[in-house]
Amino acid sequence: MSNKETMSRRDALKLGALSTAGLAMLSATNAMAAAPTEKDVKFDEEYDVIVIGTGFAGLAAAAKAAERGYKVLILEKMGRIGGNSVINGGGMAVPNSTWQKKYGIQDSGELFIKDCLKAGLGINHVELLETIVKRAQDALDFSIKCGAKWQDVKPAWFGGHSVARSLVTDNMSGSGVIKPMHEFVEKLPGCKIMTRTKMDDFVMSADGTSVVGVTARINYRFDPKLFSDDIENKTGEKKVYKAKKGVVLASGGFSMDKMFRKLQDPRLVEDMDATNHDGATAGALLKAFQIGAMPVHIDWIQQGPWASPDERGFGVAPLLTQQGLFKFGIAVDVRNGKRFMNEMADRKTRADAEYVILREAPKTYPVTLGTYNTFEEQIYPIIEKGLTGGVMKKFDTLDALAANYKIPADALKATVKKYNEDVKNGVEDEFKKQTLKGDSLKELKGGDPIDMKGPFYAIRLVPKPHHTMGGLQINTKAQVISGNTGKPIPGLFAAGEVTGGTHGASRLGTVAVTDCLTFGLIAGENI
Amino acid sequence: MRSKKTLFTVGFFVILSAVSFLIASEGSPPQASPHVAMTPELKEKYPIKAHHAKLSLRCTDCHEKQGDNPEDFKAIGDEGCLSCHKTKQYLADRLKFMDALHVNPHNSIHDGPKLYCDECHNEHKPSDNMCLSCHSNDVKIWMRKTP
Repeated sequence: MSNKETMSRRDALKLGALSTAGLAMLSATNAMAAAPTEKDVKFDEEYDVIVIGTGFAGLAAAAKAAERGYKVLILEKMGRIGGNSVINGGGMAVPNSTWQKKYGIQDSGELFIKDCLKAGLGINHVELLETIVKRAQDALDFSIKCGAKWQDVKPAWFGGHSVARSLVTDNMSGSGVIKPMHEFVEKLPGCKIMTRTKMDDFVMSADGTSVVGVTARINYRFDPKLFSDDIENKTGEKKVYKAKKGVVLASGGFSMDKMFRKLQDPRLVEDMDATNHDGATAGALLKAFQIGAMPVHIDWIQQGPWASPDERGFGVAPLLTQQGLFKFGIAVDVRNGKRFMNEMADRKTRADAEYVILREAPKTYPVTLGTYNTFEEQIYPIIEKGLTGGVMKKFDTLDALAANYKIPADALKATVKKYNEDVKNGVEDEFKKQTLKGDSLKELKGGDPIDMKGPFYAIRLVPKPHHTMGGLQINTKAQVISGNTGKPIPGLFAAGEVTGGTHGASRLGTVAVTDCLTFGLIAGENI
Repeated sequence: MRSKKTLFTVGFFVILSAVSFLIASEGSPPQASPHVAMTPELKEKYPIKAHHAKLSLRCTDCHEKQGDNPEDFKAIGDEGCLSCHKTKQYLADRLKFMDALHVNPHNSIHDGPKLYCDECHNEHKPSDNMCLSCHSNDVKIWMRKTP
């Protein structure tokens, strides 16, 4: 697709002039208004609450609303329940949790907020973090009520957190929450889930101020081969559903939206992989903007600098690099065999450094390498997986490694030599890597950070979009705020990755599940 | 084998009733599951999987009550597949030996026995293993090509 076409499409979308099948019924005078009003439609079915999305946020909202006796319809555009939540790692940070008390860990809400603000570069919406502090335990308890099982062990200590506060599900996947919550919701009377059903538009009240329903297509088949499924996919048959109490938008982030993510960050080229599922697109988010919802932090897209182009999605590289090669090994620019970043810097700094190379020489992926002594023991089983799957390669000599990746061998050997010597001589390296000084070096086996007797392990690196920090502005009751009035849009709630502000510039690991379950629960309580 | 037999018996009855219905209604539009004349062109346009071809399945064995024009046929959905393949739980149990390594595609850690059949299995085009979307390098170790 040419750039010109992309631009005109985007403009059309912005103006709301792009007519979908669902809008064909609108009169010409409404060409500027994206959303139909209740006068324009005939409702096929009526519910109290309609929830868009079946991830942590959507199912929590639906379960709570249905538990309160409401008739709830849940729409999911994919064939599969759970979106990114069901392929997520199953970690949930809960400050001041019952778990921490049981295992004797001292934590505080202030400390949690401080950690989030540090990672978020201070631009987080603190009132949302305060809400998480107040309600995360309730969200955890609610997930347990729905059947989720969390490992009864000492909470895990994730990067960026000052204390151990992350619980992990019994199957180490978000599906440990989604599967039981899905069953819980299915059993509740008055709760109905429709998969392969895509929400197309909000239906507004006659005066255009409130959300009173949605138009949708049943028998919709998402097509990952399309450039923009949201715009191009015409499958399915149109239905209109009334939501007497309101709609909860829990449609997730847009890390797989080839058009919208590139608009926010042009480094995210169209054929770039992400750690997300195929359906993570911006369509529903844009519909909320069209009816006046306020955007927050849209272009803060968190990218994992620890991913590999040699596997799809999240894969095993993030483990082998974060708990392996990055610690005492190095990452080099294959064009000159030189280091180009602190391998232990924050996610954004490292992704930006990788992009400098990839922008100058597209697809010239940097390579990280190291020896046995850089791997933490708990990931030994993954090493085998990485080698068998071909994501990580093993070489007897640096020459063989250099030849494989077309790195100038002499330059690479010089880099490794200087790296080792600096550590030996107590000279701080040029990137001030924190694992090369102090107590950390006591863990170093074998003397040199890169043990020249080999063998040498290597992985190619590429940043992959992971979490879209930005989204709709919500208040602490999960109500979506209008840019026209500065007040909540009546009948519209949102929770999870589709909202913005909570995580600021960069989200801490395992706070996504907390965010989604907490605000999903709150939306279900308040609607 | 029993299901094949049942299928043929059912098919026979369907045809028989269709024929008698046609005779009785004297030339009204065809109903139920009529016969589609197979041509090399149709076979090329809508190829079927070897394991189904071996059973001599015809278009209308699956596309029941969809008329006689293949261009108008619709996907038969889970219900269609399971009319022969029993239940999703049955299919999950058949691959129970894969549960030990958590790689049973019909009972995965993520989805349990709940996915749509055609999330992975296609009849008239190559199947597409959904596990590959995240486990691109491991699937070949876990299982053979998706039938």
